[in-house]
Amino acid sequence: MSLHRITLKVNGSTEIVDVPGNWTLLQMLREKLALTGTKNGCASGECGACTVIMNGDAVNSCMVLAAECEGAEIITVEGLSKEGQLDALQKFMIETGGIQCGFCTPGVLLSAKALLMRNPNPSEYDIREALAGNLCRCTGYNRIITAVQKAAAVH
Amino acid sequence: MRNAHPGLPELDYVKPGSLEEASKFLAAHAGESRPFLGGTDCIVRIRDGAWKPKYLVDVKGLEGTTGISFDPAKGLTIGAAVPMNKVAAHPDVQKHYPLLVEACNWVASYQLRSRATIVGNVCNASPAGDTIGAAICLDGVLNVFGPDGYRKEPLTTFFFGPGKTALKPGDIATSIFFPLPPKESAGKYLKLGRNRLGDLAIVGVTAFAYKDASVASGYRFRIALASVGPTPIRPTAAEEILAKSIDESAVEAAAQAAMDSCTPIDDTRGTARYRKLMIRNLTRQAVSAVLAQLKK
Amino acid sequence: MVVARKEKTAGPVGQSVLRNDVLEKATGAAVYTDDIQFGPGLLFARVKRSPVPHGILKKVDVSKALALPGVKCVVTGKDYPDLMGLYLKDRATFAVDRVRFIGEPVAAVAAVTEEIAEAALDLIELEIEELPAVFDPELGAQKGAPLLHPDLENYVHPNFIFPEPGTNISNHFKIRRGDVEAAWPKCAAIVETKVRVPHIQHVPIETHVAVALADDKGKVTLWSSTQSPFAQRAMLAKTFHVPESDMRVIATYVGGGFGCKAGVTMEAIPIALALKVKGHPVKFRLTREEEFYTNFVRQGLILNLKVGCDKDGNLLAMENTMYWDGGAYTEYGVNVTRAGGYSSTGPFDIPNVKTDSICVYTNHPSGGPYRGFGMSELHTGLLQVMDMLAEKIGMDKVEFLKKNVIQGGDTVATGMTMHETGIKECVDKVAAAIDWGKKEAPTAPNKLRGKGIAVMWKAPAMPPNAGSSAIVKMNSDGTLDVSIGGQEIGQGTFTAMAQIAAQTLGMPYDAVRVSGPIDTKYSPYEWQTVASRLTWSMGNAVRLAAQDARQKILNLVAEAWKEDPKDLDIQDGVVISYKSEESIPVKDFVVYGLPKENDQGWIGGPIVGTGSFMPTYVTGLDPETGQGPRAVVHYTTGAQAVDIEIDKETGRLEVLRAAAAFDVGKAINPDLVAGQIEGGFVQGMSSAMFEGAMLENGVWRNPSFVDYRIATTMDVPPKIDAMFVETAQDDGPYGARGVGEHPMVPTIAALANAIKDATGVRITNPPFSAEKIYLALVDAGIVK
Repeated sequence: MSLHRITLKVNGSTEIVDVPGNWTLLQMLREKLALTGTKNGCASGECGACTVIMNGDAVNSCMVLAAECEGAEIITVEGLSKEGQLDALQKFMIETGGIQCGFCTPGVLLSAKALLMRNPNPSEYDIREALAGNLCRCTGYNRIITAVQKAAAVH
Repeated sequence: MRNAHPGLPELDYVKPGSLEEASKFLAAHAGESRPFLGGTDCIVRIRDGAWKPKYLVDVKGLEGTTGISFDPAKGLTIGAAVPMNKVAAHPDVQKHYPLLVEACNWVASYQLRSRATIVGNVCNASPAGDTIGAAICLDGVLNVFGPDGYRKEPLTTFFFGPGKTALKPGDIATSIFFPLPPKESAGKYLKLGRNRLGDLAIVGVTAFAYKDASVASGYRFRIALASVGPTPIRPTAAEEILAKSIDESAVEAAAQAAMDSCTPIDDTRGTARYRKLMIRNLTRQAVSAVLAQLKK
Repeated sequence: MVVARKEKTAGPVGQSVLRNDVLEKATGAAVYTDDIQFGPGLLFARVKRSPVPHGILKKVDVSKALALPGVKCVVTGKDYPDLMGLYLKDRATFAVDRVRFIGEPVAAVAAVTEEIAEAALDLIELEIEELPAVFDPELGAQKGAPLLHPDLENYVHPNFIFPEPGTNISNHFKIRRGDVEAAWPKCAAIVETKVRVPHIQHVPIETHVAVALADDKGKVTLWSSTQSPFAQRAMLAKTFHVPESDMRVIATYVGGGFGCKAGVTMEAIPIALALKVKGHPVKFRLTREEEFYTNFVRQGLILNLKVGCDKDGNLLAMENTMYWDGGAYTEYGVNVTRAGGYSSTGPFDIPNVKTDSICVYTNHPSGGPYRGFGMSELHTGLLQVMDMLAEKIGMDKVEFLKKNVIQGGDTVATGMTMHETGIKECVDKVAAAIDWGKKEAPTAPNKLRGKGIAVMWKAPAMPPNAGSSAIVKMNSDGTLDVSIGGQEIGQGTFTAMAQIAAQTLGMPYDAVRVSGPIDTKYSPYEWQTVASRLTWSMGNAVRLAAQDARQKILNLVAEAWKEDPKDLDIQDGVVISYKSEESIPVKDFVVYGLPKENDQGWIGGPIVGTGSFMPTYVTGLDPETGQGPRAVVHYTTGAQAVDIEIDKETGRLEVLRAAAAFDVGKAINPDLVAGQIEGGFVQGMSSAMFEGAMLENGVWRNPSFVDYRIATTMDVPPKIDAMFVETAQDDGPYGARGVGEHPMVPTIAALANAIKDATGVRITNPPFSAEKIYLALVDAGIVK
């Protein structure tokens, strides 16, 4: 099976990666770039645990082929904090109790980040809608919604 | 019971430089290659073992597949590679084709719609496809590049069965065109899933109407039903009832006619009995909502 | 600094301090098992599974799979025939001579890539002679049903499990108290009903994953996403004939467990392979689909209930026959049945009780522990019956519940005396929160609105001697390490343990480091992270370890200062004397000791405290009557109430308001308690509205997120009123009891009761899908 050499930017850093044609962006992030913050929960675009930002918008990284990512710009959970300063979303997820087991958290953060990038003043409904594709089995969601509201307020 | 693969089985990704090249490759590898757009259906079905292509041919970026263009004299063209979120956020689409925006926003989740495309949704021809009803009601026409060059495929004659369409090996749908909607028109898509959002449709009802003095009621309706037959269903009997009258009993009769026109099955999302009743109720609601908009 | 005794600072227990595990979870740094990098030697496992629900395994031919390039080894049931099981040893790693459910492992492949391992599965040839199968537990329990385990009489089990060899009944728990037959004629109202509760799945967002490595001497290391590193060590060591000390289990953060990562499910498989390819780590990760149909399920239940009360609403008698769909292997499920049995009255004082809780083998996926096991299923039926009884005698439901709920000093159905509990207070709180008794207007003309309430109880369901231990190590930088063997699965136990250690020692909360990952080689023993037992049991061990360290610190300083330790205290990391008004920071001496006067040597040394806890008072119960002095350690009780609406056009249920209250003894961290109550409510609500395995002839028709839906952000009520009361537990740390599982126990019943209130129609069997509700309304003539 042939490998595809692709060049892309991940969390601001240029990466050159050789990937098989059947690999997803999720696999490439985790297994080639050791960015294991992005989680695999279903591999079928349903749970949202693998959500990253690709070219400015939230995507399920399990639904993108790695080979398609030539020239792409990707942000993962590892790229959210800047020089040790947490993103407001991270800070409020911690403070409001939006994190329990933590497995959905990276995907939630990136979905929420993409929301605030396109809509800095989302309503509660906007937030719930934007996060409807991020399954969480622990928290019951409302604390996550509160965290995003608080982050939007300081955004 | 077939177990899904953990990831994708071995296959190769092909990125052709032109439509000709892509079409030739797809024709030469008929049965073992597929055009690849947003991938949100493709990756799922390959993982499930339902599709077993050796090659995924990425046609995004090829001529005519990118961008949204609106011509006030003719209509709207949406490239095959344009994800639904871009369609829904486009000002011309929002202004002239709000039904398309509404339909896009009912598809799966936001992050899936960052990849999923209307052309992909149409070409995969799932009876549950959320944007297909709007595309049909808005008189959508696919622009297809095939081994014999360009041709047009109106959606009225496009769907043969679940996953079965007028497309042949070597065909690449490059864009979808929508003519200008009639003046004073309105549409509504109502979808019932198990969750409030994000599920596949148990049923979906698209209703679209415009003012037309040539018919008795003054309103011409187009209705499309999702998830209640092997293809999207146009309940023409219901449409004809509404051409005659739009009073309460006519709307009820149209809803009943829509229910009678569909042939749903029992599956994991719902039974045929429930689906038929829901087609009736949602058709009533969708038609009423459209009339309310038009009477404003 | 001198502080008077009465001015002592409050300390972290009872404060909503920030969790100590979430910074790394918020930055992607937290390590889960699948995140560990093993390098190029890593092999990947995939499993060949039975395609039929029941049959004799005639042949497993792996030769073609072995010949596939990239395949390193293939193992089958013949390689590892030993039986294992937590309570009943009835399950081998792979099917040996018989398959009993669709999805049962038959063989496993290790290969250099996951794709090759997967491709090899198609090359394994199976020959199976299909047998008649059992899909209904009530039928399966009858004599003459196809027998799934002819060897049941040889299966090893503890003395509190009662299998009936020659049948499919793997445990039969009974209560015989008073005389139900004599009581029925005295009842003014009797409700008799059958309720079916479907199988549901746990759905942690992280699927099961385990990596095994065997060295050339056969020592095994297992990295796994588990709630039970020590139970896994014990079970897997026996299965693979490895000394327990040579079976090392390293348990990283767990991406959701809810019971399914307790005991052993798939973890034996990578070990079976690793022992054949020594030196290569072997990773096995369940796909989401496998997580649904091959993993522990919450077993289905058929309840046959008959309950009666007098004209004033006093409960007089209950007859409760439960058939549990235990699935193919009931190694863990037998104890679910037992728990369902001894708690079968729910939190009610009923003088005459006849209970039969029967665990039945079926050709379905194996049942196992699911958050509050046995209790959600039981309460789903029982609390609807209580609602019906109140209706039947025309009594307000809140009044009915308060009249009958169990109180301190009452004798529960197994003969144990109930401890003090605040269940009535919980009922009052939730009733007030949703304005019980006030008829609310629907929010739109096409809606029907109603309210429902349910109460619950649950005891930790575990062996009588489940133990905990802890080590507290003081550091010279002012911090301390708390080593425990209980697992952080999202519930916040690392935080609660840090609070207890800090409080007990007199150290600041921020100074406590909880040592993870749990490693059976270095962490102290813990039975399992299950049963809502950690806050109480492990909390006691941590408290004792902290007390031990504290006493050592005080003794050392007392010796140095020539004072009585009783006059000393530790506050905020500083030892102080109330007598001499001396003070010294703890960090100054807890590692290096203190010098004697005039350079005449040193006293003290590194301070380490240890603590262990095990309940010693739980007794056996009579096998025929279920009577004994103390069946369980304690019960946590609570109540839930909901205000809901039904859409008459679609049947869709919407929860407008929800309130829940539990008697937690003492909330070590109120915010974490609220987090459990909210999350548990939503999990229960999700199971009530959406969830159920669609099993048809043993085929799971909806084993994916596409077809098995769970609640999303859009489906939950905007606010869940999470409340608690605190009736101290006599042997709990600071009075605490667990509350991790309880919040989902009463939810299905509360919603069913609310649906009845809103529509007038009683729909007993969950899930209450829009379709089920709508069609019930059609059948009742309420809508057309």
